[in-house]
Amino acid sequence: MSTNIKIAIAESSAIIRCGLETLLKRLPGFRIQISEITAADCLTEGLRIYKPDILIMNPSIPGSFNLQHLKDECGCPDMKCFALLYNVSDPFLLRPYDDQISVYDSADELKHKLERLNAEEVPPEEEENDDQQTLSSREKEIVVCVVKGMTNREIADRLYLSTHTVITHRRNIARKLQVHSASGLTVYAIVNKLIELKDLNG
Amino acid sequence: MENMKNGKYRETSKMSDLICENYPMVLVMSRFGIDLGFGEKNIGEVCRQNKIDTHTFLTVVNFLTETKTVPVAEVHKDISISSLITYLHNAHDYFLNFRLPHIRHKLTEAIVSCPKDVAFVIRRFFDEYAEEVHKHMSYEEKTVFPYVRNLLEGKKDPKYNITIFRKRHDQIEMKITELKNLILKYYPGPDSNLLNSVLFDIFATEQDLASHNRVEDYIFVPAILSLEKQ
Repeated sequence: MSTNIKIAIAESSAIIRCGLETLLKRLPGFRIQISEITAADCLTEGLRIYKPDILIMNPSIPGSFNLQHLKDECGCPDMKCFALLYNVSDPFLLRPYDDQISVYDSADELKHKLERLNAEEVPPEEEENDDQQTLSSREKEIVVCVVKGMTNREIADRLYLSTHTVITHRRNIARKLQVHSASGLTVYAIVNKLIELKDLNG
Repeated sequence: MENMKNGKYRETSKMSDLICENYPMVLVMSRFGIDLGFGEKNIGEVCRQNKIDTHTFLTVVNFLTETKTVPVAEVHKDISISSLITYLHNAHDYFLNFRLPHIRHKLTEAIVSCPKDVAFVIRRFFDEYAEEVHKHMSYEEKTVFPYVRNLLEGKKDPKYNITIFRKRHDQIEMKITELKNLILKYYPGPDSNLLNSVLFDIFATEQDLASHNRVEDYIFVPAILSLEKQ
């Protein structure tokens, strides 16, 4: 399953921006949405509206930015930042960034860096089943409960779990199936014969 | 910044070039109230002939065809808000009174041969979705647009502002994406040309709704924000 990522590229050279965009869009395993920020004066506004997961920024883009400040100001506290480098840069300048991309990086290196950054996002417990996108039997039980209209609390009581665990399971289910709503899960449950129509409330 | 202000298409570009190069723009054109059969005329001529603000039309088509650049603060500058509202209203009318009923009709027909309970839940999912779109859009029609029309006449409502709308404005295409995923991955019946055709309709509608929302978030809302500041 491909991972959705929203990326903003803040770079004043149109050639570099488009080149990077083309390369990113070709990476297998990712569905990348890109927005370009062409000048420093639209950086904050652009990020505030677009709310990317990752910002790839040329640190020498005119105007000086405090990254933490920028994240706060545009309401994206969890945004990751790559420095986009043409040549050797002052390490002090690069310290606030999560990672660096060089204009000479290959597609593979780029992919690797994105994967690494993304892996940090996923807590280890969720990772184990990642290869198989089918639901575990526990997850199926939870789907049935959700479809019957039970609350997280009720599901937790029924299955002897903490509500926190139920929430984690539900997040994993949504991620695996790409289905978030209860009515969407109902379709999943009926199609996969986890439940019959007569068991549904209302 | 410059390239956003003078986007790819200008007054002097041929209308037929715009449409042939970006076929979803045929819907934008029709929502602005322009009919087919515009011959060799350029965008400026067609707009003037149909009494449509050319600048607003160009702002919307350039914004939608140039999808990757974050619009700069001035993208909405000098647009005609009333033209934009007409456009948005016609889009709502299209989704609610044509697109969604049309998909429902086709979908119902396409899934007749699958198990009854599956057909039932798919239809129910769709109806719930259509109801959500309805609510989403009628809020805009009944609350947001009247507020803006009053604002244009200089009547400010002390109890409302466009930030309220911006905060509650959700991505209405999310759930139709779910329907697409469910049918693609789990549809239990035999494949059919009709079902594939419904899927294509769903893909197109997903895109169309996302574009529609982008126009609201990036052009309409900023335009109203600056109108409020005046």
